[in-house]
Amino acid sequence: MGDRDYEDYLKRWGLQADMWTSMELLAVATAREMAGSTFAFIGTGLPLLAASLAQRTVAPNLTVILESGIVGPEIRHLPISVADPRAAYRAATLSTMLDVFGMACRGFCTLGVLGAAECDRYGNLNSTALGGYWRNGENRHLRLAGSGGANSIASLADRIIVTMVHEKRRFPVRVQYLSSVAGRRGPGAEDRHHYGLFRGGTVTVVSDLGILRPDPETGVLVLDAYYPGVDPEFIRANTGWELAIDEATPMPPPTAEELKVLRLQVDPGRFYLGRRVKGRKEDGKK
Amino acid sequence: MQGPEILTLSEAVHKYIHPGTHILFGGFTLLRRPMALAREIVRQGIGELFVTMNGGTVVEEMLAGAGLIRWLESTYLGLEGGMPVAYGVRLAIESGEIELVEDYSNWSFALRTVAGRYGLPFMPCLGDLGSDLLEYDSFGRAGLREREKDGSWKHPGIPPLKYAVIDDPFSGWGLHPRQYRNGPDTCANRTNSYFQPACGRGPEDNRTWPTAYTGRPGVKVALVPPLLPEVSVIHAQRVALDGTVRLEGLPGPDIDQAVCARVLIVTCERICRPEELRRTPEQNQIAPHNVTAIVEQPFGAYPTAVPNYYDYDYAWFQNYTRQVQHRSMEAVRGFWRRHVAGTANEWAYLEQQVGRERLLSLIADADYHYRPDPERRDGGK
Repeated sequence: MGDRDYEDYLKRWGLQADMWTSMELLAVATAREMAGSTFAFIGTGLPLLAASLAQRTVAPNLTVILESGIVGPEIRHLPISVADPRAAYRAATLSTMLDVFGMACRGFCTLGVLGAAECDRYGNLNSTALGGYWRNGENRHLRLAGSGGANSIASLADRIIVTMVHEKRRFPVRVQYLSSVAGRRGPGAEDRHHYGLFRGGTVTVVSDLGILRPDPETGVLVLDAYYPGVDPEFIRANTGWELAIDEATPMPPPTAEELKVLRLQVDPGRFYLGRRVKGRKEDGKK
Repeated sequence: MQGPEILTLSEAVHKYIHPGTHILFGGFTLLRRPMALAREIVRQGIGELFVTMNGGTVVEEMLAGAGLIRWLESTYLGLEGGMPVAYGVRLAIESGEIELVEDYSNWSFALRTVAGRYGLPFMPCLGDLGSDLLEYDSFGRAGLREREKDGSWKHPGIPPLKYAVIDDPFSGWGLHPRQYRNGPDTCANRTNSYFQPACGRGPEDNRTWPTAYTGRPGVKVALVPPLLPEVSVIHAQRVALDGTVRLEGLPGPDIDQAVCARVLIVTCERICRPEELRRTPEQNQIAPHNVTAIVEQPFGAYPTAVPNYYDYDYAWFQNYTRQVQHRSMEAVRGFWRRHVAGTANEWAYLEQQVGRERLLSLIADADYHYRPDPERRDGGK
């Protein structure tokens, strides 16, 4: 698309070439984390958007795999589920779920992108239940969706990116149910290797406020970067453990080129980009 | 050769599904879910069901909303259209109406269906380890994994263990980076905490071997038992008169999970002549000897999608969310009573609850295999 088309686009949607919405910022931040990846297992929504952007920018050799059994789709219309027929459009192969997880087991999952209800200080995820797994009269037991493919991906990928809304209740010291293992710390500080998970070990959390990475010594997630306009103290206040913020640097903002690709090629209809980031106003504050 | 029975929806449900049946519903999220058959179960009011599925949830949402599920084996309970967690299912679990929920992951569940399909004692799994999936055993806690006094299992579909964990008798030989005469491994993964990327170094050179689960140093492998439902139901595009099944588009988990059951009911858009499918047998997935009964039911997956036939009805999902979200279980029951139980049969349902115009608006495009209509999808905002 030429410059004239981009101008028309900006006018139509009330946007500017050098300014971004919070959803666009999230897509860019996540895409950047995919640099150098070759095989990514991703779900729909923001991860798919980010993967599409990454393929066109920092990860040109990225093969996208969906846990439903889809390998290498050339998606035209944004799907709402990994089994949406839109997600299968012009794929290389449509196979079984068993087959794609088998591929991951063999060694073709260098990256997984996951979401969760809770992410603890080691990056372990809970997408199964809050208030205890066993239902009892006292606790308010809240049932969530369950692991789905998340546990399998977290077990087999070289690296996972976790996308989270940054709220204190979502970042507890310890998850209430351990659905997907990241830096599993057992009672004696046992790591994932101790439990027989031999792949993986790199977790990056991309929240809607900033980026967390584990401290190499302790494995505890620390703030690595904060988004433009966000105060690191605000991030610390919204994290359930004492988040280390001293080494954090501001994330370089989305470039005009990244935004142009995202807008004109990845989601031109703004089907997903047009959504508000849940729970946040446009300025990034609650 | 004796082929499968050809039945109506009502006959198939009446004959094969009873209170307490251990039943697997095929498809995945909003793809080819056997909704028509599940609606017939709601019409006939068959309850106490032991439902199992890999990646829900609209079928299970309807059955739970109608109060028909007693036990649930599940991997995923999200519902598209605005519900990260299916609402009726959630209420039913939290209230205890669904007494037991047993969680697996997509992969370990799929491996269970392979064990069931091929008559294997178990399948190995390198996921689920280290997670709470291994720590919480719902059926075990309820005493259902034991034997009766006469030695029989408490339930034919509940194995004695949820998982077992062993030490690989091959000491991880299959997990080390492969080294060939002409070069190293070609796979993309770079991490391997059992073996360093540089080959030639044995496990003795590396980090301490894990001792979790078995109490001994070794390469941990989780084992999952077979999935053995009484009945499996899947929805296909075409089934031949002789029972040959052809799924079009993404098969998802359907091939393995269809044939691991005792009884397989296949509902389809169209029953066709065998020649039509046998002309290109490489495109068929399930052979006739696996199929117990066929039901021809056009739009049998509505409101989910059937590639090459019709798209999912996103507006249905959005409307459902609007109707029941945050409301009482009584309100959810009321929805399904009005929406399904009150209809005489599938054609009445399609006519009264959906309408010809809406159905036609979902018909798939030949090139895309779905309906690429941006205006209709605009409901995403």
